[in-house]
This record gives sequence, structure tokens and C-alpha cells, in this order.
Amino acid sequence: MKTKIFLMLLVAAALCAVQPAHAHHAFAAQYDPTKPLTLNGIVTRMEWANPHGWIYMDTKEPGGKVKHWMNETAAPSQLSRHGLKKADFVDGMTATVKGYQGKADPGLANGRTLVLKGGRSFYIGSVGGPNDGAEPK
Amino acid sequence: MPSIVPTFAWLEGLAWTTALRESPYGYPLIETSHLAFIVLFAGLVIMMDLRLVGLAFTHAPLAVIQRRLFPWQMATFVPSTATGILLFCVDPLRYYRNVLFLAKLVFLALAGLNALAFHLKTYRRAEGWDEDPQVITTARLAGAASLLLWSLTIVCSRLIPNNWFK
Repeated sequence: MKTKIFLMLLVAAALCAVQPAHAHHAFAAQYDPTKPLTLNGIVTRMEWANPHGWIYMDTKEPGGKVKHWMNETAAPSQLSRHGLKKADFVDGMTATVKGYQGKADPGLANGRTLVLKGGRSFYIGSVGGPNDGAEPK
Repeated sequence: MPSIVPTFAWLEGLAWTTALRESPYGYPLIETSHLAFIVLFAGLVIMMDLRLVGLAFTHAPLAVIQRRLFPWQMATFVPSTATGILLFCVDPLRYYRNVLFLAKLVFLALAGLNALAFHLKTYRRAEGWDEDPQVITTARLAGAASLLLWSLTIVCSRLIPNNWFK
């Protein structure tokens, strides 16, 4: 009986420990949920790739200096589900990416929302960040 | 010494690796299979290792455990390795530059050598102690080493995407 109760508690504890399904890696390991950012700039390259994609962007700093960014996105299957196509990305196009700053690398960000020229907006984030499915606040 | 980088860049640029890297379903399918086969393989190896260290199935002769588990271990090791090689081919340069991936390969090789040494040397002379609940020290050490090395292999694998050491 005691063993049974112990086992039940063990199973309950294990279930409590189960976290929401994360994507390839945990958001918190690499990105700072308290540092949202909005990048307006030029998409220099898009990697439509597994296990997650990358949007490379150049933005203009206040002083006029160009800053290079790499924005992590969800995997191709998720991007497709949110209505994006590989062909939506053309090197040199302007775009806005809203997301979160990376922890270690100053040019790293986790993209959550992509706004294309003309105003079409897409959710590009993977699971695990704050306000999943919504824009960063 | 010629660098391996151009070879990996060539591999990464091939039509089929590119298609897999950009695929909506192919890649997730291979990735999921890879993990599922690892889980099955590790579970089967752990069962054998627990018998060796004397923590489980101690009343069953080692030969019986070995005979029953070995085909399943191979049947899960082969597809887990094959899917692993595919995943590597999709992004060879990223893995090549990831120290946790390299550590995983080292632990994998050591785990393989440990298993090979056990099967080719220690286990060949198992007639005398095959039915002992506590087997000879060499065999118990092989079991303990196997548990440790496969665990390290899996832990390193899990940490590959976190890659803190860029």
C-alpha cells in the first residue's frame, strides 16, 4: 500500500514537472523575455530551414551605423501554417521584425512577428516564449 | 592538413540535403524517429547494463538476457544511427562547429568500444559466471561504464541545440 501511494505521488510529481512542449530548444536558454525589440530594416538573407529558420537583417543605428541582426524563427512547417512562403522573402526587401533580444549575443534576436511591406503581418515565433502567438508587449 | 570544411559545405549544398533542410515534414519526421529510436535503444541497453551491475534480473542467466535483447538493440541502433547521419548531412557545418556534438561523438565512440570489448573479450568467457546474480568485476565494470557513457552521449545530444560554446 505504502509503495502504491509512493508510486502515485511519483507519477503525480513527474506530471507536474512536464513543461509545455518546447520547440527545438527552450526560449529562456537564449533569449530575454524582458527585452522586447522592434527592428525596422533590410532583410539581407532568409534561411528557410529546419530545425528553425533565420532572418538576417540590417538596421540603421541612431548614429547611422549599420547593425547586423539574426532573428530566429519557427521551423518551415510552422511558418507555412501561419501563411508564409519561402518566396515571400526576397533579399534586400524591407521588413519589420518584432521579437526579443538574445542574452549573450547583441545581434541575436528571437523573432515573434514579421510585418512585410504593405502591412501583411505573420506570427513567426516558436513555442516557449512569453505571450505565445501574440506580439511582444 | 586539408580542411574538412569545403567537403561539409559541398554536402550542405546538395539538392537532397537542401530539400530536407527546407522540408515541412521530412525533417521533423526524421528528427522524431531519431529520438524515438534512441529512447528504445537506450532502454534496451540499460536493461542489459542493470543485469551486469547486478541491480535487475539477477535470477536470469546473462546469456538469456543477452540473447533476447541483442536483436532489438541492433534493430534500434541501426535506424537511430542512420537517422542521425541524415540529420548531420542536413547541417554538417553547424554540427562540426558545435563542441557538444563533438563531445557526443567521443562518448558514442567510447560506449561502442566498451560494448565491443565486453562482447569480444569478457563475454566470450562467460560460461563460468553466466548464471551468477553478481557477475565478475570486469563484466560489472563494463555494465557501469556502459550506463555512464550512454548517459553522457544522450545528455550531450540533448544539449547540442543550446550550444553555449560558440
